[in-house]
Amino acid sequence: MSLAILDGGAFYHHATIYGPRYRDLFDRSVYMPELTPEHLEGIKLLIVPDRINPDLLRLRRQILIDFAERDGTLVVLGENQAETWLPGVNWTSRPTNFWWWLEKDAKPEQRLVSPDHEFFQAVPFADTIWHFHGVLSPPSRAQTLIDVPPDREGRDAGGALLYDDRITTAGRLIVSTLDPFYHHGSNFMPATTKFLDGFLPWARRLAMA
Amino acid sequence: MKPALALSYGFPDGAMAKLASHPDAVGRIATHDLYDLPALDLSKFSSLLVSMHVDQRFLASRADQIASFLQDGGTVVANGHLAYPFLPEMIGFHALENYGLKDLAVRRLLDHAIWAGVSENDLTFRRGVAGFYGRAWHEPPEGATVVHALGTPDRPLDFIYRVGKGRVLFHGGNDLWQYGGADSAGRILPQLLHWMFSVEEAS
Repeated sequence: MSLAILDGGAFYHHATIYGPRYRDLFDRSVYMPELTPEHLEGIKLLIVPDRINPDLLRLRRQILIDFAERDGTLVVLGENQAETWLPGVNWTSRPTNFWWWLEKDAKPEQRLVSPDHEFFQAVPFADTIWHFHGVLSPPSRAQTLIDVPPDREGRDAGGALLYDDRITTAGRLIVSTLDPFYHHGSNFMPATTKFLDGFLPWARRLAMA
Repeated sequence: MKPALALSYGFPDGAMAKLASHPDAVGRIATHDLYDLPALDLSKFSSLLVSMHVDQRFLASRADQIASFLQDGGTVVANGHLAYPFLPEMIGFHALENYGLKDLAVRRLLDHAIWAGVSENDLTFRRGVAGFYGRAWHEPPEGATVVHALGTPDRPLDFIYRVGKGRVLFHGGNDLWQYGGADSAGRILPQLLHWMFSVEEAS
């Protein structure tokens, strides 16, 4: 069994997937416009990086859902409009505060909900903290790993930034709002590189298990 | 003058929408999905606007179409880091590694109408944070006019070069149309539009 990743063809996908830092972790990269079910044969875990063209994800949604239904683990990162193509995903957009860390006495809103989850053995909670673009409402029996409280201006009721859903499909859906491929691959925001330093080797271990 | 063509990529693009709704641009920027490019007759457009977010792997498969458009007098405005060869004479990029503040300083090497009245400081910093405008540099084709460099003059960030009867404006960072703010960088939008649609320069 092995680890595959979708490639959206943007420069930051190229930098993160084929750059020297992580490329040896992936057994297969699949260019999104060419995705077929055959590409996912023998794959245990598939990563959908942030900012894959959502028109293409909707067009090929059944391939991805079938993969999860065959006991695959599908990791879907942020800015993919997953609520329009992935079962169980509910999303509320929140205007992004890129500047939270410049505010006086800046304290991130993120809360560690499931500290015992295996994910946090690989990725320190601190490395998951940067801006976010919205919140997720996980299915009722999914496990929330990180959440944020209701928006201070009342625009949403709060929700998850990362959850682990073993209920909705026969396999596993790990869904997040975070967008590390874009920011690491654009050579910006070191927190996103630290996140990937933990997350990608963990994903590989899951794929090999 | 013929309209410009913005290539969309599946997501709403607020910055492009702002550019297209500028009084100097209304009705002059058409939008088509990137993947419709093979079916489009580019001779109907004056410029091609390429966001940092587009699928460059696909664009590289259309390199001949883009080169012909340029040869015939088209303008290409492209943003981001060049990961795939979709532009004539361009090779890959150099990401800055272990960079510090001085490496991110935008340095003007030449005055140019698109950036007239825009301070280097307003390009370098946004709310006191450096790096939005560029974090990588590219090797421009021979004869290119290099307007800005990153940190040191040998790291080109913004440059313009001729291809046949056409021209390429390459900006190796976040989309130029994101710079519509209240500081002097806000001058980029109207001045870019003027440059794109100025007949004498494009001819």
